[in-house]
Amino acid sequence: MREIRLPDTVPLLPIIDPWAQQDPEGPDSTKVYEFYKNLSEGRLTMQRCKKCGKVFYPPQAACKYCYSTEYEWIDVPKVGEIYSFTAMLLGFPMVFENFAPFVIAIARFGNYPENGIQIAGMMFDVSYEELKIGDKVTWEVMRIRGPGEKVRYWYYFKKV
Amino acid sequence: MRKVAIVGAGITKFGRRDASWRDLVVEAGKALFDDVPNLDKREVDSLFVGSAYPERWANTAHVAPMAAELLGIKPWRLVAKTESACQSGAVAIRYAWLAVASGLSDVAIVLGVEKMNSKFMNLTQSTMYIVGDREFDTVNGLTAPPFFAMVARRHMYLYGTTREQLAMVRVKAGEYGSENPYAHFNRKVTMEEVLKARPVAPPLGLFDCSGITDGAVALLITSEERAKKYTDTPVWILGGFQRTIYSSINDAGEIADWLSLRELAKDVYNHFKITPEDVDIAEVHDCFTISEIIEYEELGFCKKGEGGKFIEEGQSYIGGKVAVNPSGGLLACGHPLGATGVRQAWEITMQFRGQVPKKRYVAGAELGLAHNLSGLAAMHSIMLYGLKKP
Repeated sequence: MREIRLPDTVPLLPIIDPWAQQDPEGPDSTKVYEFYKNLSEGRLTMQRCKKCGKVFYPPQAACKYCYSTEYEWIDVPKVGEIYSFTAMLLGFPMVFENFAPFVIAIARFGNYPENGIQIAGMMFDVSYEELKIGDKVTWEVMRIRGPGEKVRYWYYFKKV
Repeated sequence: MRKVAIVGAGITKFGRRDASWRDLVVEAGKALFDDVPNLDKREVDSLFVGSAYPERWANTAHVAPMAAELLGIKPWRLVAKTESACQSGAVAIRYAWLAVASGLSDVAIVLGVEKMNSKFMNLTQSTMYIVGDREFDTVNGLTAPPFFAMVARRHMYLYGTTREQLAMVRVKAGEYGSENPYAHFNRKVTMEEVLKARPVAPPLGLFDCSGITDGAVALLITSEERAKKYTDTPVWILGGFQRTIYSSINDAGEIADWLSLRELAKDVYNHFKITPEDVDIAEVHDCFTISEIIEYEELGFCKKGEGGKFIEEGQSYIGGKVAVNPSGGLLACGHPLGATGVRQAWEITMQFRGQVPKKRYVAGAELGLAHNLSGLAAMHSIMLYGLKKP
């Protein structure tokens, strides 16, 4: 009988990889690559429209208000405030199961919404019980290593 | 616009089913065809399949033609799968309503189906977090439970809602779900069980979350002219809308206030000339206990911030101000994404026909409302159903 032998494992494919490929060029690149480049240099950035002056996030290649394509990347203020929080204790997706459980918070940085942003972030080395709404946090950049030699960047929150 | 009615309905048992996506379609189809013996399947000109992610959970795309073949129909007017995450089923019904109302379709089947359970539950969870903005938001671990837990935490902070009030929603769901043989969790649960359950995303525990469930529901939808051929008890689709005002956490603003639902409800009430007081049965999207509490508020059943008090006073029980989720809701029935909106229409149909067990029968009900949300509460949907011809 003919037999087809299947592999036990396959590479981590984008459909189950939480992070974007963050490629600077090629078919898996993005027009907002600068966001990732800034992260790799230790800066979490948001966009400000040069035409209408509004701040917007998540990154996109045109101002979400006036649709101008003239924008600049500005630093998200370093210290923010916890707006709500929880923890992922059960029901882990693939990849997350490698480092769960962890705390998750939503925090506001800057003068939200006019001149700041509201974003979610993971928190490590702190428990749900130790947090309250209004606690100060900073955003920090972390390295995502793998699969193989691939290196990417993301941010997390740290309690001040 | 022509008047449109639900003239047939079939449902599968909801649960962790030893059945494939295809099996569920056949099972719901069999239940529908048994319910409408006068249907000649050659009359079905359109099919709308509400199914969120068969691409991932059944590894099959382009499911509408496959569903048609499985049902043994050859539709020739409008055929599509509708995807809107947790409200995929509601969207399928809305399109069927529009198709029949416009005269482009005479007889349509709406099928809501989802297969979520497998031995690879981490893959199921991997699919549950891509319903948000995966690249920038849900990459932070935002599956549904952590997001709605933060909504709950926020609601408690702003309005003083208590952990016990959240639990009361689940106790009510068990009360009615125990009388629903099709429900995934068809048993009563106590307050203590809910409070002491394993935490999923605090303050939410296992019982505060709707289940990961397999199931399917099928409806036959037709015009006023044809309705009498199939049934003596048509249920009228009055209609409804959707609204979305944000997708990302950044644009969500205050996550305990669901402004899009508030505005949607006002729009629907105005357009269809009703008030919240007219609603006899509300099948609402209680994906989590906190969701139902906020929905009481935004649907106008009580004032903003008083949803906790509303359940505490028993106002959402049968006999209260409005019977909310007499089916047991998503919390007891489970939540097979694409099937849920269709299951709500099925419940209202069975209620109007008087075909539900006595203990969860809403006597004298004439107006039913079904609400769904999807993603990180990013989009809301309302559909209205009437016992009387509009």
